[in-house]
Amino acid sequence: MLRFLIRRVLSATLVLFAISVLTFLMFFALPRDPVTSMCPKNCNPARLERVRAELGLSDPLYQQYAGYMKGIVLGRDLNSAEGGHCAAPCLGYSYINSEPVSRTIARVLPVTLSIVIPAAVLWLALGVGLGMVSALRRGSVLDRLAIGFSLTGASLQIYFVGAVLLLVFTYTLHLVPVPHYTSITQNPADWASGLVLAWVTLAFLFSAIYARLSRAQMLETLSEDFIRTARSKGLPKFRVYGQHALRAAITPIVTIAGMDIGGALGGTVVTETTFGIQGLGRTTWDAVREGDLPTLMATVLIAAVFIVVANIVVDIVYAFIDPRVRLG
Amino acid sequence: MRPRVAVAAGSAIVLFAALGACGKNTGQGTATDNNRTTTGVIATDPKDSMGPAAPVPGATKGGTFYVLRQPKINHLDPQRVYSFAGLSAAPLYSRFLTTWKDDGKGHLTLVGDLATTPGKDVKGDCTTWQFTIKDGVKFEDGSPITSKEIAYGIARSFDPDLTGGPTYLQEWLANTPEYDTAWDFKANKTSLPPGLTTPDAKTLVFTFQKPHCDLPFAASLPFTAPMPPAKDTGVNYDNQPFSSGPYKITKIVPGVQMVLERNTNWDPATDPVRHQYPDSFVWSYGADATAEANRIISDSGPDASAISWDGVPSTLTAAVAGNASLKDRTLLEPTPSANRLTINMQRVTDLSIRQALNYAIDRDDLIKALGGATVASPLTTLMPPATLGYQQYDAYPAGPNGNPEKAKQLLNGRTPELVLGVADDDQDTQIGTQVKNNLEKAGFKITVKTIPQDSKLDETKKKNNPWDLYIDTWGADWPSGASILPPLFDGRTIKDEGNSDTSFMNDSAINAEFDRILAMPPAQQGPEWAKLDKRIMTQDAPAVPLYVDVAFYLHGSKAGGLFIGSVFGYPEFVNAFVKP
Repeated sequence: MLRFLIRRVLSATLVLFAISVLTFLMFFALPRDPVTSMCPKNCNPARLERVRAELGLSDPLYQQYAGYMKGIVLGRDLNSAEGGHCAAPCLGYSYINSEPVSRTIARVLPVTLSIVIPAAVLWLALGVGLGMVSALRRGSVLDRLAIGFSLTGASLQIYFVGAVLLLVFTYTLHLVPVPHYTSITQNPADWASGLVLAWVTLAFLFSAIYARLSRAQMLETLSEDFIRTARSKGLPKFRVYGQHALRAAITPIVTIAGMDIGGALGGTVVTETTFGIQGLGRTTWDAVREGDLPTLMATVLIAAVFIVVANIVVDIVYAFIDPRVRLG
Repeated sequence: MRPRVAVAAGSAIVLFAALGACGKNTGQGTATDNNRTTTGVIATDPKDSMGPAAPVPGATKGGTFYVLRQPKINHLDPQRVYSFAGLSAAPLYSRFLTTWKDDGKGHLTLVGDLATTPGKDVKGDCTTWQFTIKDGVKFEDGSPITSKEIAYGIARSFDPDLTGGPTYLQEWLANTPEYDTAWDFKANKTSLPPGLTTPDAKTLVFTFQKPHCDLPFAASLPFTAPMPPAKDTGVNYDNQPFSSGPYKITKIVPGVQMVLERNTNWDPATDPVRHQYPDSFVWSYGADATAEANRIISDSGPDASAISWDGVPSTLTAAVAGNASLKDRTLLEPTPSANRLTINMQRVTDLSIRQALNYAIDRDDLIKALGGATVASPLTTLMPPATLGYQQYDAYPAGPNGNPEKAKQLLNGRTPELVLGVADDDQDTQIGTQVKNNLEKAGFKITVKTIPQDSKLDETKKKNNPWDLYIDTWGADWPSGASILPPLFDGRTIKDEGNSDTSFMNDSAINAEFDRILAMPPAQQGPEWAKLDKRIMTQDAPAVPLYVDVAFYLHGSKAGGLFIGSVFGYPEFVNAFVKP
């Protein structure tokens, strides 16, 4: 297990290194020059060059990249236009937010975690539960309803469902407050009421996909020989379905769930924009819109970290639930 | 879970239908006051610059006033404030050398804010201006505001790190657009830039190498806000401005909210403009314009005492404008942002063609295409009505729908082929289509070429740009012709790139007129600018004035004291209060 973990972490580090290099190069290749937003009014080429030199942007790219990476690990001293010393993990300075990017990330990351984790619990419980029940009651009214539900969810969009929920529950019935974020440690009830519409929207749309997937997986598993064997051995139904069938059916779901949750943690752009909540996704979108390259680069890197870490977690979980997978 | 979803979907259908019903135009809704013009004076009596400001009828103290806005305000540091949202928010927590007393109906008076008057032209030639600082003005910690802190604030605006703010004072003091190379703030933090002196704690003197009669106007911008040197944290000051106004910033969460609470050290007796009715203001960021409008229409909880800063979105304008029950909760006024079809006079050299272009435009159709009277108001002058001394005229009277026949007469059988450059955004594309149709009816042959929106401004400002026509917008920093006509039409300023004179007009007689009027006392300039406006249009026709933007805002039933400012055309909060 330890060897497996070390190997996965090393390969993940390599992937992240490659992503960081690509991201770094990609942003320098973009048409928007970060220096133009720092150059005073009546900017001319000479002034532009002076600002570029002051910000260290005239240095060779590898040197700039090394400085950026060093900042993440050790912190670094930035120009006065970038707020001076930037403590580790330094992800640069946002001219748009007038603060170190790491401070922005520290503020918005808990928001996205607060949206994604409860929503994921909801969509997994609802989606997998519905899919399983639907498979076990194949052809029943419940199965048909579940199929209808999953079709509906799969064909709708977050911005539509979110807008409808807002219109009904917030603007008209006033049952749910305007979406907002309060730290769970400050006021758990306010935390939940401020995010409940985002959870329900995400859970509705994602659970539809999981219901379809779980149903298909379960139906396939139920037709396997080992299930027939288990039944013929006279095992109770709950052991056949709960222990044998579910375990075998759930492995691809875990893989997809890992990717979905990892991707969502990297930023639920549409959800956060629909509900006007400033999480990592909304911050990324704002950075794109405002040309805030340091923030954009940091959010892209963080999204990559989430996906890579989610993959490692999936591999580990996979090994636990499926004995056919061997670690090491 | 299932029944809840079903109920929600069912309710949604009913409510969407209800919203559709709201969209029916009853004819009793809101109407734009197209006749609003701006009149203004510069206060000469120091009493006009003293407080307290006249009480707002019906205003009561207490409550929290909310401002809903999608993006955060980009800069709060007064020396960097230049966005419209920033210019509306800054007077809550900052005071300036001068300020505008605005009655919300187009009548402006320039008064002293921190200064006892809007400045004294010491030599009568606009090269030396003296301001005397009021007694009793204080920062949020109770320390007195003197000329030293105001001078320091102006000095720090020379810091090239502090980008984003206006640069008039820096350029005028340094006598060069490259002011930061003329005086290095970082190397001279304990001194002042050339031309700025503080003979004593109550006196601030500007000495310019050239006359700048607009100084009292420029001094109303936030970059004259005071700052104690000890509070200067450079670029980080954006997140912790030190208050001199009626409110102090107590909390900033970028992208989420800004909270302002009463500043107990603000003395209303020193302030001719601001009030301190609400206990607090909360700028709440995140919701988009549609969500903001829906919240305000819903009018529940805190949203009842809120205004939607982003205005009524186009998807809801018909519903809101036609709903008589919302009439008392809307603000609808033309703004000073003037849109024109710029004619590149380097390429369109024939005056009769430029005049024909003016006759050919159908403003009525254009405004309908843009969304109607809640979006735009027709304009036939270069300066918008919200300019001091404004005089309405139409140099090419073609009626609201244009006069293609008159244009054809002027063209005399010619079919000029012109290239119209439009940004690749929705609005410019829409205007481009409309303008092309209008002009082709009059005999022109128009080729529309799109320009990436991001670069359109830079590209059209290049002297050798390849377009004959393009859409331009100009929003002046103060409502004087001095900040409109010379920047847009003084040909002596033409350079290779970065031109504001995008018509590339260079008429020596007009240039001489600019010099003559600019040398006049600002209070006497208004009518002269109006005359020159007409002369430029008649003599040179460098553009086709199209329309001014219209401000259309929605606020909650408990939000009082709001009005559209005549200077920038955005909501003002100096009179705001929360109804009980």
